[in-house]
Amino acid sequence: MGTATGIIRALNSGIKHLAVKRFTLRYPEEKLKFVGDGYQFDPSTGVGIAGLKGRHMLFHDHCTGCQLCSIACEGVAEAIAMVKVPEEQKQNKKSIMPQIDYGKCVFCGLCVDACPFYALYMTNDYELSSFSKEGLIYTPAQLQVKPYVAQDSEIQISDRGATHG
Amino acid sequence: MTFNLPPGLALQKVDERIMTLNVGPQHPGSGHMRIIVQIDGDYIVACDPDPGYVHRGEEKMAEYRNYITNIPHLERPVIHDSCNILYPYVLGAEEILGIEVPERAKYVRVIASELNRCIYIMYWLAIYGIFLGHSTMFMWPAGDRELLIDLMEKMTGARVTHAHFVPGGVRNDLPPNFEDVCLRQVNYFEKRIKEYAAVFYDNPILISRTRDTGILSRQDAIRYGTTGSVLRASGVDYDLRVKEPYDVYDELDVHTNVLKEGDSYARSKIPWLDMMESCNIIRQALQKMPKSGSVRVKLKPNPKGKGLNSVYKRVESGRGSLGCYIVSDGKTEPYRVKLSVPSFRNLIALPNLLRGEKLGNMPSVYWSLNYWPVEADR
Repeated sequence: MGTATGIIRALNSGIKHLAVKRFTLRYPEEKLKFVGDGYQFDPSTGVGIAGLKGRHMLFHDHCTGCQLCSIACEGVAEAIAMVKVPEEQKQNKKSIMPQIDYGKCVFCGLCVDACPFYALYMTNDYELSSFSKEGLIYTPAQLQVKPYVAQDSEIQISDRGATHG
Repeated sequence: MTFNLPPGLALQKVDERIMTLNVGPQHPGSGHMRIIVQIDGDYIVACDPDPGYVHRGEEKMAEYRNYITNIPHLERPVIHDSCNILYPYVLGAEEILGIEVPERAKYVRVIASELNRCIYIMYWLAIYGIFLGHSTMFMWPAGDRELLIDLMEKMTGARVTHAHFVPGGVRNDLPPNFEDVCLRQVNYFEKRIKEYAAVFYDNPILISRTRDTGILSRQDAIRYGTTGSVLRASGVDYDLRVKEPYDVYDELDVHTNVLKEGDSYARSKIPWLDMMESCNIIRQALQKMPKSGSVRVKLKPNPKGKGLNSVYKRVESGRGSLGCYIVSDGKTEPYRVKLSVPSFRNLIALPNLLRGEKLGNMPSVYWSLNYWPVEADR
């Protein structure tokens, strides 16, 4: 193939893309759709349920304060600390529950795998930025809240190319 | 006047013509490493790669953590190829802990590993394009990579550091309707990467830049111990997926791409051909995969190795053969974990390739070696 034809072919391939739809996701306005409600784990079978590994969610009525999540995190990120919860939130005998520092967390989800009481799950919430270091530390009361996550676009493939529709 | 120099140091005579140039470690074109280049005018006389700026002691860290908590930090050296760098460790740990993996989990691992290989190569190709000043080839792979990252996110729950493989299978089962979505996106991805031929690989400007630069002969490629795309671009038919099949690769039809030229162009084309082969493997694996069944063996919380035992496993990663040597002394932590990484082995060829080249060809020859600094330093 000659030099001229090669260059014309390259330019032609670029010109074709004027008709192709835009693939870019316009992030703050559009947000990606995920499968499921986040990564969960079933201790009876030992297999997880697919989902995004985002911010955790703690079910106070299931948590026994056994510290297994904190032990699982020791070799990974040391992000989980067991803290005393106030008397009115007390659910278990030890009255301690995990507090997670998202400045350290690597979102591997091994703490969810370690929990045998269905108490700790992960959610689709991934927007965790804060103006201070203290704002990244989530107390048991904050972890109890189920987050609202906007999910409105998914990759769609047509003859005119892929797009985040 | 005489100096008593400490051992290992030597005085160098300053030549009038030869200039020493440090490319890196803060240079965007070198990554986290330094290449000391001696140039005579525009031609490179000698070159001395100097890795080691991002050494973080992964192997030592692995001695203080148990077999499960080792997973998140062992995938950090190559975060965009994280399934493949975990693969030999997981295979080795399974043999040490004495675990039999379910059939479906093996197929899920193969799919995850091939998707991750494509993600790595697309990242590598984007940077190869921008090193040559081809900004379209930076934008297109960086965008099309998103198709596969989206699949990995659905599959594992994370976009780059998946922590998906564990001794005994994978962390979670595939989401519902994954096979259809995967097939559709992989087919579109393959169609897209075929379009790269007209813009990049058949482009006469690229060919004139990279043909016959940095030639590595077949004998030298074997003698230096290079692996992966560098070895296959020099005409050696060697792929661990075919030669030493692990998991279910022996049931799949894997074709090895080999080119004979051994120049920078051939080394850049082999990964692109590998991506198409990966798409074939993913399609085969999706077809042959058992539709139901367990994907993970239930383990005890803190599994122990069986007595004094050692194992060496290796897999074909995005860069070449990646090995992991694990020694167990019967405790919950491994006694020693050694990673044998392809990047470091490919780097050894660099001084030979650059001698006599023009300085302008240095970035493309360097990056065609499929080298990732963080993995080499580990």
